[in-house]
Amino acid sequence: MRLARQAWLIFRKDLLLEWRGRARTVSVLLFGVVTLVLFSFALGPEAEPLRRGAAGFLTLALLLSSVLGLNESFRLEQEDRALEGLLLRPVEPTALFYGKALGSAFLLLLLALILVPAAVVLYDLSPTPAGLLQLAGLWALASAGLAAPGTLYAAITGRLQSQDVALPLLLFPLVVPVLLGSVKAMDLVLTGDPMHQLRSWALLLAGFDAIYWSVCGILFPFAIEES
Amino acid sequence: MAHVDLDLPAGGSLLLAGANGSGKTTLLRLLAGRLEASAGTLRLFGLDPRRHRGTVRSGLSMVAHHLSLYPRLTAAETLALWLRLGGEPAPADRVRDLLAEAGLEAHGNVEVGAYSAGMRKRLALVRVRIERPRLLLLDEPFSALDSEGRAWLAEWLAGLRREGVGLVLASHALEWSAPLCEQGVRLAAGQVTWSGPAAALLEAGG
Repeated sequence: MRLARQAWLIFRKDLLLEWRGRARTVSVLLFGVVTLVLFSFALGPEAEPLRRGAAGFLTLALLLSSVLGLNESFRLEQEDRALEGLLLRPVEPTALFYGKALGSAFLLLLLALILVPAAVVLYDLSPTPAGLLQLAGLWALASAGLAAPGTLYAAITGRLQSQDVALPLLLFPLVVPVLLGSVKAMDLVLTGDPMHQLRSWALLLAGFDAIYWSVCGILFPFAIEES
Repeated sequence: MAHVDLDLPAGGSLLLAGANGSGKTTLLRLLAGRLEASAGTLRLFGLDPRRHRGTVRSGLSMVAHHLSLYPRLTAAETLALWLRLGGEPAPADRVRDLLAEAGLEAHGNVEVGAYSAGMRKRLALVRVRIERPRLLLLDEPFSALDSEGRAWLAEWLAGLRREGVGLVLASHALEWSAPLCEQGVRLAAGQVTWSGPAAALLEAGG
């Protein structure tokens, strides 16, 4: 109960700080949109290749934007050593992890409100209302799959001068299963699912989410302790 | 650090003096459990801080050189967050009382990032009231304060001492900190080079 209450307070605090520093959040959103635009330029004006690659482009835009957001999330904690103050309060490190990971997942979820409509326009997609709901669900699963390991690694790299480089180097290999699952599942939604594979891919994503959220929650206290 | 042998009774007070880099902050961080000693024994409240982390940490507060504040939160939000993290409600009158104690009641809804260094320090210090520690660790508490602020802090700490809160204080401002402490040690290169009454440390010029 104490852990859940502290996690909720950290989550609320992070959202409030994001709102107060919303210029940064807007820049993450714009970065995602620019990424989608660049993919469309790279493949040229033909609609078909863009439609075929849309699931991959959306997932990559989410991944690249997530790195920016995650880096910032822990920069807030390193400023004036706020993290140390929380740990001395004492806030449970596990509560800190779940609060911050939830905050990051929520912000990644918000990206969908901008990036999915942008992809529909840029890549000439025509998802059904049911397909849009499925996309939202898959986006939530992918966001959760990036937020948990991202929070763990952002905590590890937060004290490094090369944090901006170190976080993607560590994070990207770990989240390959999320990327594969997300790309495949979103592609099935956008281009059709004659073999009814969507449920299996969504379950795979959910399974990896469960593993990441459990294991990272266990490892996080070790990541933030100084030795 | 090496050859550091200190014993502080419950509710006692200790002044750490020494030049920059002598090990004062390292010793405070060891006591706070933020660093682990590679050798030797450390007990706080009779417990090993690494094995009884929760119990030990709930009994101590630390105000370090970095004040651990979020610049984008207001002072009132900061105090309310601190209350709630400890499982307490954060009614407006309680927050107002804390702000008044820090002399910040007129600035409670201002983001901390807009505060002067002295105001930020007062806010960080008054958070200690919420934590109700048995032992308070302070790293250079008199820095960044003007003479009025230093007088306020000395009186405020004297009040905590009267309530039985133990104090370990690292400071260069001996004229302010020595009267607050009973014991004193001088550190140099991570070792205790002198120990005795804090008043004698002041007379010896640190």
